[in-house]
Amino acid sequence: MDNFSNLMDGFAIAFSFFHLALMAVGVLLGILVGVLPGLGAPNGVSLLLPLTFTMDPVSAIILLTSMYWGALFGGSTTSILFNIPGEPSSVATTFDGYPMAQQGHATHALTLAFMSAGFGAMFGVVVITVLSGWVTQFALKFSSPEYFAVFLLTFASFIGMGSGSAFKAIVSMMLGFAFATVGMDGISGNMRLTFGFSELVKGISFLVAVIGLFGLGELMQTMEEGLRFDGIHARIRVRDVFKAVASMPSHWMTLLRSSLIGCWMGITPGGPTAASFMSYGLAKRFSRRKEHFGKGEPAGVVAPETADHSAGTCAILPMLALGVPGSATAAVMMGGLMIWGLTPGPMLFIERPDFVWGTIASMYLGNVMAVVLVLATVPMFAAILRIPFSIIGPMIVVVCFIGAYTISGSRLDLWLALPFGILGYVFKKLGYPIAPMVLAMVLGDKAEDAFRQSMMMSKGSLAIFWNNSALVATIMSLAMLLLFWPMVSMIIRRLRGAEHGKRISA
Amino acid sequence: MFKTKLIATMLASAFCAAGASAAWTPDKPVEFIVTSGAGGGTDIFTRTIQSIIVKNKLMDAPIVVVNKGGGAGSEGYVYGSAEQNNPYRVTFGTNNEYLLPLVAKMGYASEGFTPVAAMALDEFLIWVNSNSPHKDAKSFIEAAKKGDGLRMGGSQSKDTDQTLVSIISEATGAKFTYIPFKSGGEAAIQLAGAHIDSNVNNPNENIGQWKANMVRPLCVFSPKRMAAGPKVTKDMSWSDIPTCKESGVPIETYQMPRTIWLPAGVSPEVVTFYSNVMAKVQQTPDWKAYIEKTSQTGTFMAGDELRKYITQDTARAYSVFKREGWLAK
Amino acid sequence: MRTTSGVLLTRLTMEVATALVTGLIGATVCYGSLEFGIGWGDAGPQPGYFPFYVGLIVIIASTVNLGFGIYHHRDRVEEFLTTEQGQRILAFFGPMFLFVLVSSFLGLYVGMILYLFSVMVFQGGYRLPKALAVSLITAIANYFLFEVWFKVPLLKGPLEALIGIH
Repeated sequence: MDNFSNLMDGFAIAFSFFHLALMAVGVLLGILVGVLPGLGAPNGVSLLLPLTFTMDPVSAIILLTSMYWGALFGGSTTSILFNIPGEPSSVATTFDGYPMAQQGHATHALTLAFMSAGFGAMFGVVVITVLSGWVTQFALKFSSPEYFAVFLLTFASFIGMGSGSAFKAIVSMMLGFAFATVGMDGISGNMRLTFGFSELVKGISFLVAVIGLFGLGELMQTMEEGLRFDGIHARIRVRDVFKAVASMPSHWMTLLRSSLIGCWMGITPGGPTAASFMSYGLAKRFSRRKEHFGKGEPAGVVAPETADHSAGTCAILPMLALGVPGSATAAVMMGGLMIWGLTPGPMLFIERPDFVWGTIASMYLGNVMAVVLVLATVPMFAAILRIPFSIIGPMIVVVCFIGAYTISGSRLDLWLALPFGILGYVFKKLGYPIAPMVLAMVLGDKAEDAFRQSMMMSKGSLAIFWNNSALVATIMSLAMLLLFWPMVSMIIRRLRGAEHGKRISA
Repeated sequence: MFKTKLIATMLASAFCAAGASAAWTPDKPVEFIVTSGAGGGTDIFTRTIQSIIVKNKLMDAPIVVVNKGGGAGSEGYVYGSAEQNNPYRVTFGTNNEYLLPLVAKMGYASEGFTPVAAMALDEFLIWVNSNSPHKDAKSFIEAAKKGDGLRMGGSQSKDTDQTLVSIISEATGAKFTYIPFKSGGEAAIQLAGAHIDSNVNNPNENIGQWKANMVRPLCVFSPKRMAAGPKVTKDMSWSDIPTCKESGVPIETYQMPRTIWLPAGVSPEVVTFYSNVMAKVQQTPDWKAYIEKTSQTGTFMAGDELRKYITQDTARAYSVFKREGWLAK
Repeated sequence: MRTTSGVLLTRLTMEVATALVTGLIGATVCYGSLEFGIGWGDAGPQPGYFPFYVGLIVIIASTVNLGFGIYHHRDRVEEFLTTEQGQRILAFFGPMFLFVLVSSFLGLYVGMILYLFSVMVFQGGYRLPKALAVSLITAIANYFLFEVWFKVPLLKGPLEALIGIH
């Protein structure tokens, strides 16, 4: 119970008026950057960094982490209300969150999202508190073959979910891989598929694609149908909030599974985005209401949100304990740590326990505060939705393009968002699934790098993915199992009898 | 008569020069372009300078730091040199400014920049896992000569790390399988987990693991030992690490300058302004603390001295790139 | 019961066009990856290996989609876009395209003012003062939010330089 007494000391540090005020400011700023696509948590944190130079490190990290929580929450709000993911990790929340909002259940969706996010975050902090030493050791076991196996597992959990044409899903995913390879190849240092455009050297940003595919694509669809957001009423009715909270226990399985996935992906640097996709995929696969996913299924909101936040929280641990950032935002914070004069690494826990445990304690408090504050901002968004669509529609367009530009300050990105918008619109109408493309863009180059690093280690032998360690073999087996799960489940259904299957298809 | 006239002209020209150099000051926000991702070595370098300038009010205009680390930093260099006479874009990097365009088509030319200053030299060391049987550089090199050689991790491909590994191989006949990771930090963790045999990280990239006795330094590629500073582990400080030359690796020095650039089209007064600011930065206690904490060598180079350094550094890397066949067609 | 008179694009046309476009992207990717070798060397795959086969799979899958698309929609009954829908899409996409075009030359601020103003006046039917107020306030709010508060520069053009905004 050493960790527990440390944690209590941490609370004593974090629980001051100044720190609580910092948390509130951080969370509110975070919600703001989270809501604006393009201006994500990494931007927000690097922006606040100069402010922290003169602060005490504990206060500084509290401000920065609170901003991170706020941004994670804010990202879900726009995903649900406008189908525009404010953060890359809230892409998966749009799959069911937006349909729920369209059906008039915006309050329910938002409350579920925030509550499950809060649950995921709490789960993450508890894991950090209890297992900090062990987790650090575990994270050290990961090398390139293990990373590749984790990425493969993510793909495997997501593949074969779509109900449409398999070949359309393949085209979508492979295009995502192709877009991910544009730019510098980390292994050889060559510039791939840039065709001489110097603006393509940095690659095609996944966020630009998401803004186009989701934001603009959805707007085009809305325009074509002549709909004007009529279905969405985001007025917070207290009754709806309580109803949503009351329904939380019925999602216990999803919550637990997604929290575990989140922790896993946060510790092994798969990241929150991959975690949310994987968790969504598995929730759908194991659900008895498979066919409702994508049409406004509450569990489809719970799963990605829980995993996103538990991954975001857990990513803080490898950052502090190993100096490996589990997410882009953690990378920025790590830079901050060094500027404040701290060395992230195993010794940080011993040299500066006040800092480490103050941070962990502030994660408990910060997340509770974030849930409360983010719920309080929902009426504001409801007000935005009451503005006539002929004003708010073009406003969203403006926000989308500002977002596309701010990602890397590139003019080309403005022009890239347009074709992605058309692609999103056409794909959706023709039944091409978009999610595989997004997932491939997020993980494609990482998976390729890990694969090629492994090949260098093994001198070209694929056996490394089985015999490098017990760990890699386990993950690979899991991935294979998931890959062939549709077949397995079919056999199980056969065994159970045909009439059950008939009921589903009817 | 002639003499006084001469003095008068000299005074006049001196006055003019002084007047001109004082003439240019930025009157709108200056962009500091970081050619690495957030949290990278160049990022910390830039933000430290930013914080010192802000704290000591060395410049009136506000500073906006932008990270453009795509394509191994080339994104930042493309952006930084896009407007050839824009004095409000200051680009921060390393020697990759003049090395990147040698190995791939980058979308910018190294001549598109004029050097402002080099503020520090980052050191390179050979590191092994603390359970490794190799206690000194000599036995390590001997082991790398046998069989398939050893696994060496590093940051990026055809960048400073891989160049150094190639130089070591050439000088000693040791064989390495170089595995490029995204950053030095990743290479540090891979070494701590014993997934690779060694890396050639900068001090700051491995200090956390060294402190925890997970990795061990063998030697430093520096002409003389590093500054002592406080003890890092129980019984060692930086100055206890032998230089590679004294441990029998025939490489005198390999260092990476931390550099600051302006677009080539700006007037000399602009360059003078920024190099003066940097010269002041370099004298603050905060800067000295940064140098000590990151275990770099503090130096300040500007003007012709810096140009000469760049020419030499380029020539050395060029010969390595040529031998390895990395040069861009 | 719909007739084909109001149909701008049939589903068949779009299926074929999309399959052709994705196939073309696949071909471009294959072509581009030839530059760095597509083989499997001593140290695993060469830089062009993955993109090449990814491109190849796109081409193959697109061909299958082309075939299925033609087969399933050969009767040309299903429409993709009616004329009316087409007009709505055009009314939305046209101004958006112009917004991007103007923004990439004159900067985002000028672009957003012109875009919001004209869309509100010509499509929303708002009065000039209201449209002007909304578009100007949006631009100013964004300026403070991004440039002043968050210190993230947005794309600016010659007009801002004229009036001395950086």
